[in-house]
Amino acid sequence: MSSRGKTGTLTRRQLLSGAALGGVSLTIGCRLGRSSAWEFLSDEQARTLAALCDQVVPADDFPSASQAGVLDYIDRQLARVYRRHRAAYSDGLVRLDTLSRTRFGRGIAALSVDLQFQAVTAFAEQDKSFFELVRNHTLEGYYGSPRHGGNRDAVSWRMLGLAEPPIRGRAPYDLTKGSTS
Amino acid sequence: MRSLLQFAALVAASLAIAVTCALSGASYYYSSQHGQGCSSCHEMAVYGAGMHGSAHRNGTCLDCHEASLATKLRHIRVHLTRTWPETIRLRESDVFAMTPNCQKCHQQEYASWHAGPHAATYTQIFTNAGQNSRQHLMDDCLRCHGAHFNGAVRDLVQPQNEQGPWRLVRSDLANQPTIPCQACHQVHSHGTPQTRPAARISVGDEPIPDSLAFYDRREGEHFAVAALALPVLHEGARMVSVSPDPRSALCYQCHAPRPPDTGTPAALNGWGSQAGSGDDRTPTGVHEGLSCLSCHGGHNQNARASCKNCHPRMSNCGLDVEKMDTTYADAKSPHNIHWAHCEDCHQHGIPARENAPASPLHGALAGN
Amino acid sequence: MKRINAVVVGAGAAGGIVAKELAVAGLSVVLLERGKWYTAHDCRKDDLRNQRTTLLGNAFGPEDEGNPRVWVDPQGDAHTALASEGAYQNNAACVGGGTLSYGAQAWRYMPQDFRMKSTYGAPAGSSLEDWPISYDDLEPFYEKAEYEIGISGDYSGTPFHGPRRRPLPMPSLPPNREFEILEPAARRLGLHPFHLPMARNSIAYNGRGPCMRCRWCCGFACEVDAKNGSQNTVIPVALNTGNCELRTECMVREILTDERGRARGVAYFDADGHLQEQLADLVVVSSCAAESARLLLNSKSRLFPNGLGNRYDQVGRNLQGHHYTGAIGYFDFETYDDLGPGASIAICDYNHGTPGLSGGGMLANEFIRLPIHMIDRLPPGTSSWGLAHKQAMRQWHKRSIVIMGPTQQIPSAEARVTLDPLVKDKWGLPVVRFSGNVHPHTFEIGEVQAQRAETWLKEAGAIHTSQMAGKPSLVSAGQHQAGTCRMGSDPRSSVVTPDCRLHDIDNVFVIDGSVHVTNGGFNPALTIMAVAYKASNALVRNWKGTAFRS
Repeated sequence: MSSRGKTGTLTRRQLLSGAALGGVSLTIGCRLGRSSAWEFLSDEQARTLAALCDQVVPADDFPSASQAGVLDYIDRQLARVYRRHRAAYSDGLVRLDTLSRTRFGRGIAALSVDLQFQAVTAFAEQDKSFFELVRNHTLEGYYGSPRHGGNRDAVSWRMLGLAEPPIRGRAPYDLTKGSTS
Repeated sequence: MRSLLQFAALVAASLAIAVTCALSGASYYYSSQHGQGCSSCHEMAVYGAGMHGSAHRNGTCLDCHEASLATKLRHIRVHLTRTWPETIRLRESDVFAMTPNCQKCHQQEYASWHAGPHAATYTQIFTNAGQNSRQHLMDDCLRCHGAHFNGAVRDLVQPQNEQGPWRLVRSDLANQPTIPCQACHQVHSHGTPQTRPAARISVGDEPIPDSLAFYDRREGEHFAVAALALPVLHEGARMVSVSPDPRSALCYQCHAPRPPDTGTPAALNGWGSQAGSGDDRTPTGVHEGLSCLSCHGGHNQNARASCKNCHPRMSNCGLDVEKMDTTYADAKSPHNIHWAHCEDCHQHGIPARENAPASPLHGALAGN
Repeated sequence: MKRINAVVVGAGAAGGIVAKELAVAGLSVVLLERGKWYTAHDCRKDDLRNQRTTLLGNAFGPEDEGNPRVWVDPQGDAHTALASEGAYQNNAACVGGGTLSYGAQAWRYMPQDFRMKSTYGAPAGSSLEDWPISYDDLEPFYEKAEYEIGISGDYSGTPFHGPRRRPLPMPSLPPNREFEILEPAARRLGLHPFHLPMARNSIAYNGRGPCMRCRWCCGFACEVDAKNGSQNTVIPVALNTGNCELRTECMVREILTDERGRARGVAYFDADGHLQEQLADLVVVSSCAAESARLLLNSKSRLFPNGLGNRYDQVGRNLQGHHYTGAIGYFDFETYDDLGPGASIAICDYNHGTPGLSGGGMLANEFIRLPIHMIDRLPPGTSSWGLAHKQAMRQWHKRSIVIMGPTQQIPSAEARVTLDPLVKDKWGLPVVRFSGNVHPHTFEIGEVQAQRAETWLKEAGAIHTSQMAGKPSLVSAGQHQAGTCRMGSDPRSSVVTPDCRLHDIDNVFVIDGSVHVTNGGFNPALTIMAVAYKASNALVRNWKGTAFRS
């Protein structure tokens, strides 16, 4: 038996048993280790970010940013296209919480909406570039395409009076007439 | 020789153990938590939560979703390598695998849909010589026919010309429906379980369920009917009264009117979208204001039997309603039930109201 | 690999036309494209990821990874730009090039646009020149482009255009509400508004149906194939001749030359990353202003130590795009009717003839605004976040009009493309480095244009207006990029002959926006196409098998 054949067998064996172990450990491990419902954010970061986003787009008769899924948008992008902004978020959210604790004695997520507004107003002054980043990402999520997780059910477009999906009849090319039917 | 045999036995044994572990591990994983174990991975949590709030909450994931060993192993690989897509969606094959599972419980709806035009297959729609020699194939066909097809029209049917003969590039789709259940229904939507399958889609004064939703190919998302728009339509310059029935918004996504075409009177006069343009069949004239679903069933679109819902067996003019020529295929026919106007029958003038038969409905319409 | 007659580098507006013209004339052609051949399915109308809004990347290439460029700020510091960032000056990388996803305005330049120096004189410090060809030389080819590509519109409302032998092949689309609002206002101001020309089917034409008037146009591929680019017109014709082969995801490394100083083909990396050589009797570079210059500069050899066609250090100079200025108006009634493509009405009264200004530009209403475009366009003084922002979105999204236009750019020899000495792309090739800026007179023209746009909006009933006229600190190129391989008769001040052939080498051609001497006050696509038809015509006429008739 050549060593080559043995390697091949082992590889397959490793693969299968690895998969089996994976299956079992996933069932157990995932349940124990489920620290966050998010891809990148921790639950605590998500609560802080939600408070910030909901000041950028607050609820009125239409949903707030987080109600429309903007956190999903930001979280998914931080795991993908916006990987380059991860450090900014990790650090910036700590600074926001510090500001909130220093001035109001509690993390921003635990403040009343009025105090959250005051905290974010102060934060927007103090931490311009991070605030701008979150502000832009929030508005992208809220007013962008629903497929990215924000603007759930195209709610912001309906708020603006835009039909989504729009009602548009097809425009076929009628070969028998050389024109539309 | 002996050692070789020993080694072969060892390999066989370990393979058997590995396969058993893989099967049982994966199966245990999928069947744990009352059959909803797969949603314990955090990327699936939101979908599990959707299912929990839906009318199907008492079922398990595997009641609807196909999960072969290969699928299970793929899920595990995707999870471990963190390579799941930004938005997790059913794949084309998942949608088709699900149809028989819908049928298991919703037998009447399935039979009704299957007997109607919306069950047309990929072969019927995309290799139809009469259609393809008259109109160019284009990606936009897939907006309504084959919304779940994962590709462009050139990946589906060839040749892309008007001579044919046409064949499906994806022959595996030949007998699959182009408008499957998921085209108009989302399963993970808010709702309450019913004790037994509904005999029909009942509406009445009940709220329209979120499960009635249009699958938008562009977004890869369902939009519940409550979120869909109804069109603003005109007959000439006059604004047409369109039924406010939100369910018909679903129909309008495909049976859609067009903005006025270049050179038409509507374009030259700025009248706005016309009822009956494009694939729109909004009733004008005597049936104006009726919802699509006043006459058409949700699953089977045959409307013939529905005339009797409002009309006596004999029409106001003494015609047998079941034998009336109500062709819908020809938009220009005066018999087209969608836009029959009083004057289409009353060619010598509409009778004065006092001479009209004592039908409150007829009186109301004539008075309009 | 079989030797062929012509290899064309780049399947965009010009490359597609050249490939088609040569293939129809019987030459064997290979069309190389660095990007993919997309269908409408590949990127389905994503508001955050298209060619106009690139927050989540470019929908039609290039990818952010492995395709950097470098730009130099006014202080002289170099920065690396991702392909989806504004400073990258991206057009597109795909079959069809920019024409797959453009807004498709299809303008002819005016006769004066070809004689800018003799009309106005060159402002100090500028490199303003006349074209070596005139509007009349190009007119038959404008017409050919209009009919083969398919243009709709109606010039009958304006006297401000060059002479035409035939009207446009298609009527304009029915007007949208912005047209109805702006048209009488322009007339009251004594202007001449009209339905602007677009490479978009208003009726069934050329085997495809009309525009469905959706919301997603400029920056998106058309899902009903009613927008006409090279990918759905000339390239299919080229492929159907059987003489043309399209190879996608192929990045050309350099143009190969022989010991006598003639080109013998190109070396390129294929889709699998393998280096290939395609030998050809002639080489046509149609890769857009930045990449065409880069390819010539990267094609260094003993006889051409500074790159091909660059004996007098002209390749990459005179880079220009368009300085866009205009104004936004806010109304107390709805101006938005959800009918795409949105841009519908234009005036050309201000392209030429303003005392003190060396040119001007066309003004038109903007393409339909998606909500994401509105978030930073609310009336000045509106809070950038919070309830006030949300309510302002609701207040103004359907009650605003933007009028903008491409200002005639005054070229400068210092606005240029060079090779970056350090940064390389994923194939190991030195990347484009942008430096310099537009000539400052451009900004003066832009400011006047913004005032004019504002006046028009006020006349139309805007209750607030706000001008949009910045002074970017970086050369403008972007999707209208042009000028880097200037056409001229003097080899010391230009790169190609009036027939788009390199002065130095008789079998290398540059045919795309690079050859534009000036870029007009209009979107350049139709002029790029007309130049491509004209150059192809000359090429075919002079072709005699494997070389040229003398």
